[in-house]
Amino acid sequence: MRLPPQPNERIDRSAELTFSFEGKAVSAFAGDTIGSALYAGGRRIFSRSFKYHRPRGLLCCSGGCANCLMEVDGVPNVRVCVEPARAGAQVRAQNVRGSLERDLLSVVDKIGGPFTPVGFYYRTMIRPRRLWPYYERFLRSVAGLGRLDKHARRTNRYDVEHRHVDVLVVGGGYAGVEAARRHARAGRRVVVVDERGGDNPGSDFELVAPARAIGIYEGGLVPVDAGGILYRFRADHIVLATGTIEQPLLFPGNDLVGVVLPEAVRRLVEDWALKPGERAVVIAADDRGLDTTDVLERAGAVVVAAIDLRDAQPTRIEAKGRRGRLRSVVVGDREFACDLLVASGTPQPAYSLLAQAGARVEYDRRRGIFLPTELPANVEAVGSVAGELGSAAIPAASFDGHKGRCFVCLCEDVTEKDVKRAIAEGFDSIELAKRYTTVTMGPCQGRLCHLASIRLFAREQETGPDSIGTTTARPPWAPVSLGLLAGRGHEPAKRTSIHHRHEEAGATMMWTGAWRRPHSYGDPAAEARHVHEAVGLIDVSTLGKLLVQGPEAAPFLEMLYPNRFGDMKTGRIRYGVLETDAGRIMDDGTIGRLSDDQYYVTTTSTGADTVIEWFEWWNAVWGMDVEIVNLTGALAAVNIAGPRARELLARVTDIDVSNESIAYLDAKEALVAGVPSLLLRIGFVGELGYELHFPSPYGEYLWDTLLERGADLDIRPFGLEPQRILRLEKMHILVGQDTDSESNVLEAGMPWIAKLDKENDFVGKWALEHVRERGFREQLVGFEMDNGVVPAEGGQIVADGSAVGRVTSARLSPQLGRVIGMAWVRSDLASEDGELRLKVNGNLETARVRLKPFFDPDGERLRS
Amino acid sequence: MTGLAFLSPDRAERGRQFEPTLASPLTRALGGDARVRDLSGLGKIEVRGDVDAIDADVQVVRISPGRALVLCAYERCAELRAVLPGTVIDMTAALAGLELTGERAMRRLTDLDLRELPAVGKVAEVPAVVLRDGERFQIFFPQEFGHYVAEVVLDTLAGIR
Repeated sequence: MRLPPQPNERIDRSAELTFSFEGKAVSAFAGDTIGSALYAGGRRIFSRSFKYHRPRGLLCCSGGCANCLMEVDGVPNVRVCVEPARAGAQVRAQNVRGSLERDLLSVVDKIGGPFTPVGFYYRTMIRPRRLWPYYERFLRSVAGLGRLDKHARRTNRYDVEHRHVDVLVVGGGYAGVEAARRHARAGRRVVVVDERGGDNPGSDFELVAPARAIGIYEGGLVPVDAGGILYRFRADHIVLATGTIEQPLLFPGNDLVGVVLPEAVRRLVEDWALKPGERAVVIAADDRGLDTTDVLERAGAVVVAAIDLRDAQPTRIEAKGRRGRLRSVVVGDREFACDLLVASGTPQPAYSLLAQAGARVEYDRRRGIFLPTELPANVEAVGSVAGELGSAAIPAASFDGHKGRCFVCLCEDVTEKDVKRAIAEGFDSIELAKRYTTVTMGPCQGRLCHLASIRLFAREQETGPDSIGTTTARPPWAPVSLGLLAGRGHEPAKRTSIHHRHEEAGATMMWTGAWRRPHSYGDPAAEARHVHEAVGLIDVSTLGKLLVQGPEAAPFLEMLYPNRFGDMKTGRIRYGVLETDAGRIMDDGTIGRLSDDQYYVTTTSTGADTVIEWFEWWNAVWGMDVEIVNLTGALAAVNIAGPRARELLARVTDIDVSNESIAYLDAKEALVAGVPSLLLRIGFVGELGYELHFPSPYGEYLWDTLLERGADLDIRPFGLEPQRILRLEKMHILVGQDTDSESNVLEAGMPWIAKLDKENDFVGKWALEHVRERGFREQLVGFEMDNGVVPAEGGQIVADGSAVGRVTSARLSPQLGRVIGMAWVRSDLASEDGELRLKVNGNLETARVRLKPFFDPDGERLRS
Repeated sequence: MTGLAFLSPDRAERGRQFEPTLASPLTRALGGDARVRDLSGLGKIEVRGDVDAIDADVQVVRISPGRALVLCAYERCAELRAVLPGTVIDMTAALAGLELTGERAMRRLTDLDLRELPAVGKVAEVPAVVLRDGERFQIFFPQEFGHYVAEVVLDTLAGIR
């Protein structure tokens, strides 16, 4: 039932639409909210309360309270009073067993009182302990707000948009728009954010609506929830015109359906042409509240009593009802039969955003409200939030009645009695009582209960609200969906310039750090064997690559690494292990000398960024004449490995590739298949191998060319897993796999790296000297299983009933036909052929220690 | 010092049965979408040192007081490497680039203040250099993120109604 057309109504009576509520069709006009359409259809109960499951109806009708939370299209906790009605929307009640009219859980309201006092979850249902699982199951099913479908797919799209503006105005009311125009006239770019919106008021400023500012964060960041878009505003100047929040009065029965705030009356009548009731009582503390009398009368309702709290405060107010619906109101010693009670105290300025921005909040004794003061330099408050309000009465902290619950906090079902009890129990600070009673911690974020709870607190403590103070205002000021905060959820992935060739070849891709790399092309064992027998090709573009150049490049590297580099000839390569200050292994790679003052450094794939930062940091500390250039992405890299590698290389380059011309650990620049390349003869996989580093845009071209020219040599690509098998056969360590934050090069079996007699100091030197002095505690060794069982990585090695070591790597080597691995063991066990007992699936298995590489121990194949 | 020829794609040589071909990391993700122009093929040269001394008719983006990115036609890389002052590093192969139109899309890709470009910051969570010419924006970023960035750009454009 609608009223005749209202002058400023927001509905378009010519455009009808239909949505469903609990499976039944509800008709609405364009411009209706789901709430207004349900109201028009006769619905008065919109939700059941959080704890007692009491019926609740529209209260604020402005998206502030939790009285109309429903599930819309699978999204729980939607405030339907402000949610636009959409054709086809599926709306359901939430937090009920049964229906809104008959909720089985309302039994809590009837008999649950003694069982659910304030803070009951801290003390009831705790004993007997053995019943806890049953309690828990029950509590989990009734607790919380709304339900999420855990298996639901992402349906709504959420975007994040960054905005930089001169002036941001929050609140598009009269004061906000006026301030916006003032700034616009001064030539500033102004954006106004408003919860309701409407028509764009012209070209003075940009209006973002309907949208809500969620909070004000560090650096003046103001996130704004505009439905599917989260705007992140950064403004040089922020104007807050957030207005006031109407405050409910505290009296028994103040949650009955039919007890409303003035704004609800105005919106129902003026926006949606709905009649809020037949017989109304109005109790208000200011003019704006009392003005609803006129609105109601225009709508044809009978106002049976209008009480101005400024004249006199009644000794008693009590709302009486049946089945949760208002039937009458007792004011003083008179009782009025009515179905609508408009009750409000002094409106409270909505200062939360100002407080978050750094403003102080002060108590105004005259009007009994809290006002913002001492605003930060670039923040301005205008209109009623700044205290531009008329006179108002300070209502009693609560009004007495005979019977019925008097609610302080409707969201969390906290009553006056609960607050009194909390204080009696010793929670006498407002911040403690807030956490204990959860008053102000519900979905309304204290909008309707913060002031009331402070007043109540002050009365009970026999002091003034100013000495109680406010609780800290924190974002979010408005509830925000997690989807909006999550945004689009893109994950930055690094791909080599050869990536798509791997995918086309059917490789299984895996993450290594931010990189996508081929695990294998289907058969890791065959791929590994193939490298030993013919020739394999692997994409190693992910390796970190640095150029270190300058007159002091050599001393710089000598101070970073335990090795020597000054004595290296141009065109030679050395293996290096980086140490932390504490002498622990940080990363490893190769260092090639390109010229007197140029070195080409490679790092592990996942360590590249750390190493570059490490280098730059030390360069800044030492202030040396060295330049560091990150070439990781600029260069693609492939490794050609296997006995036929040289033959293949000879086909694609003009330079002499003989063992004499390019020996093991030589570096040379050359054109390979026409592409300028740096050729490094190194071998991580234990066979004759060449690493080619070349401009990344030629990745696919060179990959294709090598496979094509090597076809008759039976070339095959191999992935990361076969590479791991191959390097294990050579006992080459993988930093992070075989080492951890405790490992050092001496105990890791690489004492030849640490030149402790070097004239200069190097990072971690003292720590390595200390290790040498104290002697080895554990050592990294190879091991070979007596049988074919593959122990788990991380598995224990035991002796005399206790752990004496752990497995770091283990694989079946297809080439050797044996299970091999590496392990940290107590140093007295680190002798060739020594027996190790490994725990594998609960059984003890035997293995033998190996100190030399399992395959080609003298590196003959590598050097051939 | 060596010329670091292996950094410069334009040092490739054709002929004698080899035809080196360049590929862009964006090609597959963009799939020919006309709304985004692939600039990965442009010449990009980093200059370190006295960047104020750069005297060439090319676009120079100051990255820091001592570093600048020079953007040029691919064909001009060799000439510029020879004349630019200070330490000159050919970054043509290191950076991918794209151009898109519309401030709305850019606002969703970066939190940089679009009133103050060119600037260095993050685009789609990836470090980038951003330039502006009216409503057209050019973004240069590490090529290994190319496919990812192109996907994010298209997804962003799809979200603008």
